[in-house]
Amino acid sequence: MKIEDIKQLIDLANETGLAELEVERNGERVRIRRAVAGAVQEYVVPGAPVAATTHQAAPVAAPAPSPAAAAGEDPALTYVKAPIVGTFYEAPSPDVPPFVKIGDQVQVGQVLCIIESMKLMNEIESEVSGVIVSRFVSNSQPTEYGQTLFAIRPL
Amino acid sequence: MNPSAPLDLDWLRRRMPDRELHWLATTGSTMTVAARLSADGSPSGTVVVAEEQTAGKGRAGHSWHSEPASGLYLTLILRPHNLGDSLPLLTLATGLAVKEAVESIVGVAADLKWPNDLLIEGRKAAGILLTYDSGAVLAGIGINVNHTRFPAEIAPLATSLRLTGRRELSREPLLVRVIEGVERHAALLEEAGPRAILDAFTQASTYVSGKRVTVDLDGREITGVTAGLDERGFLTVRTPTGELVTILAGGVRAL
Repeated sequence: MKIEDIKQLIDLANETGLAELEVERNGERVRIRRAVAGAVQEYVVPGAPVAATTHQAAPVAAPAPSPAAAAGEDPALTYVKAPIVGTFYEAPSPDVPPFVKIGDQVQVGQVLCIIESMKLMNEIESEVSGVIVSRFVSNSQPTEYGQTLFAIRPL
Repeated sequence: MNPSAPLDLDWLRRRMPDRELHWLATTGSTMTVAARLSADGSPSGTVVVAEEQTAGKGRAGHSWHSEPASGLYLTLILRPHNLGDSLPLLTLATGLAVKEAVESIVGVAADLKWPNDLLIEGRKAAGILLTYDSGAVLAGIGINVNHTRFPAEIAPLATSLRLTGRRELSREPLLVRVIEGVERHAALLEEAGPRAILDAFTQASTYVSGKRVTVDLDGREITGVTAGLDERGFLTVRTPTGELVTILAGGVRAL
């Protein structure tokens, strides 16, 4: 499956408002899950509640990949969670390629992204070897503690 | 100690005999060197200092102008215990330490622009960037000490301790003050908890409340009046519509 195909699927999920979409083709399976926490996107919209102060919700799961999957999570996948409140960055600086993209194979200890919190750059590393199957946040998006960032299919 | 000469390592090693100190004439970034040392197990308190950086790092891919032998360009490795959620407050703690060190040595009043830019007379004299990786915090600190001029693109925004204090400074005592101050503030955070740092920062910075600012939230700008730090250390800004916005990351500018 090409990256363009995956992009089309993401567009489809966005257009239809589907929370989750899974497609299998020639033995390759792609699952797209949209982050449902709309509040983070409303973050700077005038009049909208401020995500950081109004969303003190308990973390969905431990920030590190947890053995027991939270509700709605595929137990076959390892989910990478945000260990701190901050801003998600896909790359070390704006003019270089992302650390990882969907379909990449990653190793234990490989940096997946940065969460910035007050100029503390938190490098989020993979705790498993596997393939990135989903990314749940967009570049520069605010993240809550425990928010799911990536899903990895362990190898 | 000669202000125009490279750092006096003998003096520094006598002054801090138990500290792992790495000096480099020139390097890309002290952060990169420190990351390698940290991965190899260098202890908390290890310092990497360079006379010159060819790729000094700032936030969001910005560079840090690192003129040879004029500034202090250093990374301190910290291995905090038990900080958990208050880990990002280390960034405020580091700013407080740099402010105190600079004020005590130069004798001029400095300000902190949230989260931790050191301003003197409204211009940036020091920048701080922290990275957290595998249990270690790398506190990167760049201080403009004896610069007499800056590249045109940053000249209106930058200053140095020499330009504001009207005299050339030996960098060694400042280096010691900064390192020991950051460790002391980090210990305060660990022992006394977030409130001690939040209160100290609120006292030390004119940016925390009542300041008219614009904030660049990665391309989108908001304008308002600062309304204090929340319990995690994030700056809050009251917009003209009355909304309270919490700034997680972003460039804050006074209006």
